[in-house]
Amino acid sequence: MSDSDLYTALVTSLPSSERLFVAKQPPLSRLRLNKRLSTLSREDAQTLTLVERLLSWSEYDMADDIGTVIARTKTALRDIAQPTLRTIIEERMELRTAVAALRMRNRGDTAPTGNWGYGRWTQHIAGNWTDPTFRLDASMPWLRQTQALMDRKDPLELERHLLEVTFRQLQRHAARHQFDFEAVVIYVLKWNIFDRWAQSNSKAAARRFTDLSLDALRDFPDLILEGEAQ
Amino acid sequence: MTEFVIALGWLGIFAPMALGAVASSIGCSIAGQASIGAMLETEGGYGRFVGISAFPSTFVIYGIVIMFTLNREVTATNAGGLFGIGLLAGIALLYCGIWQGRACAAAINASKEKPEIFGLALAPAAIIEGFGVFAFVFALVVSAGIPA
Repeated sequence: MSDSDLYTALVTSLPSSERLFVAKQPPLSRLRLNKRLSTLSREDAQTLTLVERLLSWSEYDMADDIGTVIARTKTALRDIAQPTLRTIIEERMELRTAVAALRMRNRGDTAPTGNWGYGRWTQHIAGNWTDPTFRLDASMPWLRQTQALMDRKDPLELERHLLEVTFRQLQRHAARHQFDFEAVVIYVLKWNIFDRWAQSNSKAAARRFTDLSLDALRDFPDLILEGEAQ
Repeated sequence: MTEFVIALGWLGIFAPMALGAVASSIGCSIAGQASIGAMLETEGGYGRFVGISAFPSTFVIYGIVIMFTLNREVTATNAGGLFGIGLLAGIALLYCGIWQGRACAAAINASKEKPEIFGLALAPAAIIEGFGVFAFVFALVVSAGIPA
């Protein structure tokens, strides 16, 4: 059996990634997902971990400089044999570079020089610093909305917009991989997006609940809540 | 040289059966793995998943029938015809079987989420079966012209 059919049973044992976003309850917990992923070969499991760690913000130390991040990415790319996975990582790092550039510009920084980002667009972005989309409308059409959401100071919407862009990038690659290892990695990366999406939803719900509670309690200034000092 | 030509003739007789068996085993394996995976994710309807997994098994049957039709005393005169028809029919069956297995796996994967598309999802597999039948039928028709 060829590599393209290697993980047929694993892929069909997972709920469709589209269902992840419409379900009220997550159709697949991380625990169950990990159990299913135990059928991966050792090498493939290592590659999956490598890709996940590279793309997860929690795996980065905020004190790391850009040189360390670029070096780490390049080392990881050398260890990944699948061209599709390398492309996915490069696209994600370029997305992050473009978003970082928007943030730097919003902060009032001047065009960066030297080794400031990852990918093929760093020089181009620096050269078109004053253009609203760095003249990247054709290759990054989502940049305009990203800038608009930054201007509106709506971090939650911005987060969801970027997750949506990332999800669309993965969907494009998923069309060419059905039952192979790449399909499994793409599924896990989509699951991670779903997880962050769900977390951002719960955070928004918690904030909304707090706002409503404070608003309601404003009508009862003499009310003493349990545990509150008198 | 004559021995080599005769050997090719024998190869042509057995090729459709051997390649048909390879096609069916790979196709059934791919579709079977998909059905096993789908069973983990669904609560019922397992029977139809297993049923679809057996779809590619027809190719070995076509191969056996072609083999029996071609089976005759191999001579230097008819060896070329036996080789050409047998090998090409076998290759056609091989590809049909593997790709039908993949089409069945895709159908299983899609219909586990949406059982209502079960019948429609099988259309690509049925079309591939049609191509296999073309190779089978015309191998039989053309083999009638090979001298006994």
